Amino acid sequence: MKLMKIPPFKELNPPDNLGYWTNKKTGEKYGGQYISPLLIPNLKKVEAGFKKAMKNKKFLAGLEEQLVNHIGIITPILRSLELEDIAGGEKKIGKIFLKRTDLHHDSSHKPVSAFSSVYFAKHILKAKKIITETGASMNARAVASACAKLGLECEVHIGAVDAEKVSLNKDITELYGAKIVECHDSTKTLLPAMAAALRSWQSDPAAMYVVGSVCGPHPYPLMVRTFASIIGRIAKKQMKDLTGKLPSNVFAVCGGGSNLNAISYPYYKDKKVNIFGIESAGKGISSGQHAATLTSNAPIGILLGARSNVLMNNDGQIDESHTEASGLDFSGVGPEICYMHSINRIQFRATSDKEAQETFLMMCRKTGILPAIEACYVIHAALKEIKKRKNPKENHLIHLCGSGESNVARMLKYKREHE
Amino acid sequence: MNKNFQKVFANAKSENRSCFVAFVTGMDPDYESSKKILIELSKSCDVIEVGVSFNTSTSDSSIIMSANDRAIKSGARTEKIFQLIKEVKNEITSDTAFVTMGYLNQIHVYGIDRYIKDCKKSGVDGCIVVDSNNESPEDELIFKGLTKNDIAFIKLIAPTNDSAYIKQSLKKCSSWVYIISYAGVTGSKDVNLDNVKKLSKMIRKQSKIPIGVGFGIKSQDDVKKVSKLADLVVCGSSIVNKIKEGSQNGLSNHDLAHFVGEYVNNLSKGVKH
Repeated sequence: MKLMKIPPFKELNPPDNLGYWTNKKTGEKYGGQYISPLLIPNLKKVEAGFKKAMKNKKFLAGLEEQLVNHIGIITPILRSLELEDIAGGEKKIGKIFLKRTDLHHDSSHKPVSAFSSVYFAKHILKAKKIITETGASMNARAVASACAKLGLECEVHIGAVDAEKVSLNKDITELYGAKIVECHDSTKTLLPAMAAALRSWQSDPAAMYVVGSVCGPHPYPLMVRTFASIIGRIAKKQMKDLTGKLPSNVFAVCGGGSNLNAISYPYYKDKKVNIFGIESAGKGISSGQHAATLTSNAPIGILLGARSNVLMNNDGQIDESHTEASGLDFSGVGPEICYMHSINRIQFRATSDKEAQETFLMMCRKTGILPAIEACYVIHAALKEIKKRKNPKENHLIHLCGSGESNVARMLKYKREHE
Repeated sequence: MNKNFQKVFANAKSENRSCFVAFVTGMDPDYESSKKILIELSKSCDVIEVGVSFNTSTSDSSIIMSANDRAIKSGARTEKIFQLIKEVKNEITSDTAFVTMGYLNQIHVYGIDRYIKDCKKSGVDGCIVVDSNNESPEDELIFKGLTKNDIAFIKLIAPTNDSAYIKQSLKKCSSWVYIISYAGVTGSKDVNLDNVKKLSKMIRKQSKIPIGVGFGIKSQDDVKKVSKLADLVVCGSSIVNKIKEGSQNGLSNHDLAHFVGEYVNNLSKGVKH
């Protein structure tokens, strides 16, 4: 089978050498490296290794081959006539395309950055063990799978609340051979799990830490988005092949920001392309129970090694985020995304849990697709925006970033209770 | 060097011993108990590190994390910790130096200038900021502000750091430098004397600054061993555990302070050479 030639990576938005993206108008910095001195040498090692890797043609070619043949990264972009009809029909709103990263190996966009990070750890850093954390377990499942294939030991930190919510993914992670450490600190979700993983790394500096999103201290936000951006590079080419032009609007959901970064990165310099990041409004932004860091104008803080917008109180204690989607249950957003928000390159919207749950049921019934609950936040907001724009000349690209298998039990319960 | 630390080191020298440093989380388990505990500890400690709680800390063991949770639940906020230190300092008669230990987010949210001003006002003698990177703009502002106000900026050095990193840290470090004895979070392992020796040697090549050692020092015997190698010996998690034990057993403020004070007094005897 002849596969497409994947466009090579180009650095479009480099941070400075300390890992900051600086908004020139406000002077505000995003990113950096705020961590115990214990981990500074590790981060320097990862940083040097990453620079080396990006120049190493053999490494890059080997990684791409694995991403194509093992992860199945060349997933289709499919036009959705059903969603077009729901939004008012092609003649009124244009065409809607879904980038189906739910069709990857392990059913989400996560395996791309996860596999790349583990491959990097093995071949460049020569690490034997991976430490990671997870929210929806998509990252854990993907990292555990990569570790199994590449022969590395894997330790996963997961919040006890999330472990219960997404038990299927957690079970698959365990079957892949990972050691699962349930985190019972504070909110028992992704945030304390990430802090626990960082603490574990301090006790075991010979291991490599894999971040599940574009968060954490430099160089993680840069490295994860660089690895993940292959999704966007492929999608950009596919859209060009399908429609002969750039999409008018790109929509992706945003928790920590990895899938938004992945799909939107190649369009940063294409000013005609509107980029929309969709956050979880949980029970409504005014209720205070949400995960909409940017939509709610959260202040700048220093969280888990980076300077970025953070949900927190006026004493600097990190606020608990609230959302039905474990993959979005995070009190901050990656620094590059916060920077893109600050320069108005990415516009933000938020979808409530209820709207996402209704979208989940609609997707199942009307399109025959079982999307991850996370993806339903973006589908809802995209349809709303597309209806509002009412422009038949526009092509819309929506990142359908995961499959909903692990949401089945909760969604079936929701369906039965609400119908 | 900060004036109070000069006194602290002179006192220890005249008694031919190292300095004893206790860490407790400020307002653990509550304001009044914490105040009584700090007053009691000042009788046997040369230095007291007061933890400013952060609910998402990345370097603390579950023992300290639980103490942070208890303190936050009892209303701990940065300004309350300053008030606590100020009130304790007004009541004690010893030269005990007070150091705040916390994470950058609290200081950033409080405002770096305001934090330093309030350190000065409340009699804080030094600051430790666990995640303040030497190269960050915030670190530079903290360094300048503390230096101007004669407050110590105590930098942490870990076994994983090389001499270039140590050099960079020592440039901003004042009064004393804090060696983390092992790779890990607070109180999770036993003190590693080999690391201490190696790091002390590396520091000594560059500076005569007093050296403090912490992480994994849990008994009077540990204190004894470390005091042979260091100018300051820091105990944290085991003291915090005592606070937890005492308050779980329903001790009154007064009894809890004595219970913890007695334990710390016993530990502190290990610093005699």
